[in-house]
Amino acid sequence: MTNETALFLLRLAGSAALLLFLGTLFYTLLQDVRGATAQIEAARRSYGRLVLLEEIDAVPGSSGKFYPLMPLTSIGRSPTNSIRIEDTFASAEHALIALRSGTWWLEDRQSRNGTSLNDMPVTEPLIITDGDVVGIGSHKFRIELEP
Amino acid sequence: MPARAISTRLPFEQQTHAVERRLLILAGLFLTINTISLSVLRGSLSDWIHLLVWIGCAVTAHVLLNWRLPGRDPILLPLAMFVAGWGLLVISRLFPAFADRQTVWLIVATLILLIVGWLRDLLRVMRAFRYTLLFGGLAVLVMTILLGVNPGDPTGVLGAPTLWIDLGSFYVQPSEALKIILVVFLASYLAEQYPALRAEELDAPRRRFSLSPRIFGPILLMWTISVVILVWQRDLGTAILFFLVFLTLLYVASGYTPLLLSGALLVIGAGLLAYQLFDVVRLRIDIWWNPWLDADGRAYQIVQSLMAFAAGGVLGQGIGQGAPLSIPVAHSDFAFAALAEEWGLIGVIVIVGVQAVFAVRGLRIAISQRSKPFQTLLAVGLSSMIAVQTLLIMGGVLKLIPLTGVTLPFLSYGGSSLVVSFAITGLLLRLSHGESS
Repeated sequence: MTNETALFLLRLAGSAALLLFLGTLFYTLLQDVRGATAQIEAARRSYGRLVLLEEIDAVPGSSGKFYPLMPLTSIGRSPTNSIRIEDTFASAEHALIALRSGTWWLEDRQSRNGTSLNDMPVTEPLIITDGDVVGIGSHKFRIELEP
Repeated sequence: MPARAISTRLPFEQQTHAVERRLLILAGLFLTINTISLSVLRGSLSDWIHLLVWIGCAVTAHVLLNWRLPGRDPILLPLAMFVAGWGLLVISRLFPAFADRQTVWLIVATLILLIVGWLRDLLRVMRAFRYTLLFGGLAVLVMTILLGVNPGDPTGVLGAPTLWIDLGSFYVQPSEALKIILVVFLASYLAEQYPALRAEELDAPRRRFSLSPRIFGPILLMWTISVVILVWQRDLGTAILFFLVFLTLLYVASGYTPLLLSGALLVIGAGLLAYQLFDVVRLRIDIWWNPWLDADGRAYQIVQSLMAFAAGGVLGQGIGQGAPLSIPVAHSDFAFAALAEEWGLIGVIVIVGVQAVFAVRGLRIAISQRSKPFQTLLAVGLSSMIAVQTLLIMGGVLKLIPLTGVTLPFLSYGGSSLVVSFAITGLLLRLSHGESS
């Protein structure tokens, strides 16, 4: 093999190495973007919602107002709550819905007028499921969990 | 017990280290192939010492950083080492006599990178002593104006820019160190003003930005530094670099778009004024507008550079087989043209891609630190320093914009430039690791 051939082959190999480096670099970036996207998707994942109920002729129905359900959803009059309600019968920090090891729990935060679950007073943290109705002050919310 | 240290490492960290190792190995493969070509061509093995030193630096940096900064960004170090190794190839191909010196600088640069990555309190200390740093930097700048020399023209007969200080056996270029100092100073100053800047944003209809001294102060400072560098040192590249990076920082800190527009107008206005006042600026703009009028005279360098790009083709002439030596000072400002001739379009695409990815990673680090204004602004400033400098010299060499004499980061010959680029990489690695205030 003459020097010219060897140099030509080395030149091809060098170009291939360059493209390999660039390809690996872009592949790494792609993986990185995918990882970041997956992370954002996970953070944005929806758990379900609270539907505000309205009584029409004493029959509760959806008012068309929804609140997102988060792993820690606090409800009350104070603006620091995840769901702020204007209700003179509600306490500033009234109730808390929390996701604990795969189960949703409802607890009353020593509110003056109490919290109800399906019209039964909540005295200790209770497990709630899809379709339960939570009563806070004069407001009622239906829990809609996403599978 | 090293085996134990590996087993206690988190899985995502091991993955990160594997990514860095893979990229370093591929970079080493490319350098090895080209070193083989060079020794076939020259019939001597003298260039292998540079490759061995490069491998030593890469392995040391990788292993020590795995230990000290396990959660760092895995891409920055391979990119820096890859371009620096390529730079060594370009220099040993062009001027074998300079390559040994540049190899020593590579060792120094790797040490600086490791030291910057090593010191946990570095960011805090830099932030606390920012005024001391700034005045130290400015003092050195003044010293360069008074005592500066040009290594190619020690007696000053040719009237070449005197940007270097003679330290006996070697020369240093203080404006390179000033790059980091200014970014640190501005980042910490703007981080301090951050709440006020952002509060004014909320008050949008009544904002009086340009008149507020907290904005006007640093603008005046940077403008003065840029003008001083331009007038006394005739260093057009550094002047415009400082101003553009400062503008980016101010924009990121305030989120106020008209700043960019007015800054661009200011740069164009300053350019027009400088065209009238300074011969060096007029020359640069004239030969950018039409180099062919004086292709054998004042525009010789830029015309040779364009010819080098044309001669490169797709695959390039191959290392040592082109004629990049016909470009004057090909090893420093025009290293990009020498690279284009011998590695062709593929080489150009790779180097542009690599520098772009470097900047993008820097901005990504800034985003990941966005709850901490100082860290964010520091990452933005450092990475835009590299990016703007790359754009200025690549555009200049390709005759897309008037030529401004700055080095191509990591690639060009020059110890100060290499050390500062590696120090920037070290700082970005430290920022990407997350902890420290």
